[in-house]
Amino acid sequence: MQPLRIALAQLAPRLGVLSDNLAAHHRTLAEARSGGADLVVFPELGLTGYQLQDLAAEVAMSADDPRLLGLAAECGGMSAVVSFVEEAADHRLFISAALLEDGEVRFVHRKLFLPTYGLFDERRFFAAGDRLRATDSRLGLRIGLAVCEDFWHLAVPETLALDGAQILINVSSSPGRDLAAIHEVGLGTAASWRNLMRTYAQLTTSFVVFCNRVGMDETISFWGGSEVIAPSGEALFTAPLFDEGLHFVDVELGDVRRERIGLPLLRDERPELHLRELRRILAERTGVAADADGDASGADGAARDATHEAPAGHEAPAGHEAPAGHEAPAGHEAPAGREQP
Amino acid sequence: MTAESGIEPRGGGEPAEPLFELPPELAIDTAVARRVMVGFIRNQLAQAGFGRTLLGLSGGIDSALVAYLAAEAVGPENLLCVLMPYRTSSSESVADARTVVDRLGCASDLIDISPIVDGYFGSDGRSGAGGPGALEASQLRRGNFMARARMCSLYDRSVTWGGLVVGTGNKTESLIGYSTLFGDSACAFNPIGDLYKSQVRQVAAAVGVPEAIIRKAPSADLWPGQTDEAEAGFTYPELDRLLFWMIDKRRTDEELAAMGFRASAIERVKRLVAVSEFKRQVPPVAKLGPRTTGVDYLYPRRRPGSAR
Repeated sequence: MQPLRIALAQLAPRLGVLSDNLAAHHRTLAEARSGGADLVVFPELGLTGYQLQDLAAEVAMSADDPRLLGLAAECGGMSAVVSFVEEAADHRLFISAALLEDGEVRFVHRKLFLPTYGLFDERRFFAAGDRLRATDSRLGLRIGLAVCEDFWHLAVPETLALDGAQILINVSSSPGRDLAAIHEVGLGTAASWRNLMRTYAQLTTSFVVFCNRVGMDETISFWGGSEVIAPSGEALFTAPLFDEGLHFVDVELGDVRRERIGLPLLRDERPELHLRELRRILAERTGVAADADGDASGADGAARDATHEAPAGHEAPAGHEAPAGHEAPAGHEAPAGREQP
Repeated sequence: MTAESGIEPRGGGEPAEPLFELPPELAIDTAVARRVMVGFIRNQLAQAGFGRTLLGLSGGIDSALVAYLAAEAVGPENLLCVLMPYRTSSSESVADARTVVDRLGCASDLIDISPIVDGYFGSDGRSGAGGPGALEASQLRRGNFMARARMCSLYDRSVTWGGLVVGTGNKTESLIGYSTLFGDSACAFNPIGDLYKSQVRQVAAAVGVPEAIIRKAPSADLWPGQTDEAEAGFTYPELDRLLFWMIDKRRTDEELAAMGFRASAIERVKRLVAVSEFKRQVPPVAKLGPRTTGVDYLYPRRRPGSAR
């Protein structure tokens, strides 16, 4: 099998200067293409910079913005993941990552978990995404997209892998902090991330691709250290801390099969068990008692209210997944594809 | 990257007295810290449209470290160190500052602030601009005035030098409020403000600040013989450890006491931190209009169009 060549674009975006960042993306795509890349991954908010605050609304664009389509047009026979501030039709702002392929915006993932604690204030400026699913790609495999903090929640890699993803891609703007010398790489943030990613790769028996930006926004330094992890949990490549660069990594897609045959963790997952217990937990949280099974219709109904009213999907314009209503106002779509009581 | 101990002087030979005491929990990766701080200086200047910087060089370790970092960030030719002694300032301080300037090969200026300070408080029994009462001014008033006279001089020189003032205050003094508002704390940006004094020493040793500067007792040098540690009643390693566990690691009073910190020390440091909160924040503006700076008008300092 031909190896898949991944290009990690560990860039330093300029805060709020969309035109410069767009030009850097075009240059990088061209460089990645001449380097033979199949998949190019850019960092979270690579088109806008991270610490935007009230600038967010000024750099926002819709998922069918010509500037985004212009980048997609450079992705003939190539896949790219880019990230930007997405403005929905109802003017909610999302931190989004888009999969661009063959001139189209194939899929958009909206950041699900917005850290609003410590040095983070994302929930003040952005809306949280409502949907988590893997997507097919021209690469002949399914991809699971996640943005930074999404990976600090166990359900995200698990759900994406159960949905068929073989490559989990996390795009990040992770601020470096905690320089205590006890850490393996002198940076607490980097040590934590590395633990997470190796663990996820191993437990989901999937490739994990991590692209983290570098450079500074205001007082924050982003640490880079982008990585590709094999389904065995072994790091295949680690980019330098803090340096800008485009890094090529070849991976053997056959490793996914080999790992999953030898270590069939994904086969042995128990999503129905998980779902049943989650329903019970939700029922208890909402004050509706579950019966001994945790499966009573009353509890189930309550749980369904809590879990199924996800606001509508936000399929990208050229989306090829469910024909769900594009940009429907929140909460009106039928709960698609869940088991009925 | 590996952490350096930074405690032992470099070079082999006999075990020497440690350069400074570094509580183990405060040890940082100096290579990463240096990289981040140098990048920060470069970035702050570039975003503001400046290529040069300047600072007040006292001869102490904080400003010496910042001078080394600034010289690394923009080159010594783009750094101006301004020495601003008062007539009672220790001559050793000025000599140490000159050593830093010589080692770095950067530009320097000497501004004697004595006429400014004496012009206000008066001297030799003759009153100055501050009136007859100012002749009897306390050391604290004089010290604060000196710090602000230095700030005025430094900001004036920033115009002729064409650079931004880089700050030299550390995290310890900021947290306990051991600084003069609009005086030594005034700056365009500060690369070392999140480093405790013990960590300043660790990084200073790693970047090659002269040993004599690292070894000597820290002093605001506002009056002869003054030392920080005598004034505060703590040694820096003690104070840094307490602040680290209290603030960075969120330990409660009971937990701190169980770790061996004295109850009186905990009480006193908590109070110092609380009463100096105002020194660490931008002065509050009464909320009146629809959008108020710092409240619901929130933009990055540096954004498109903000460079000069």
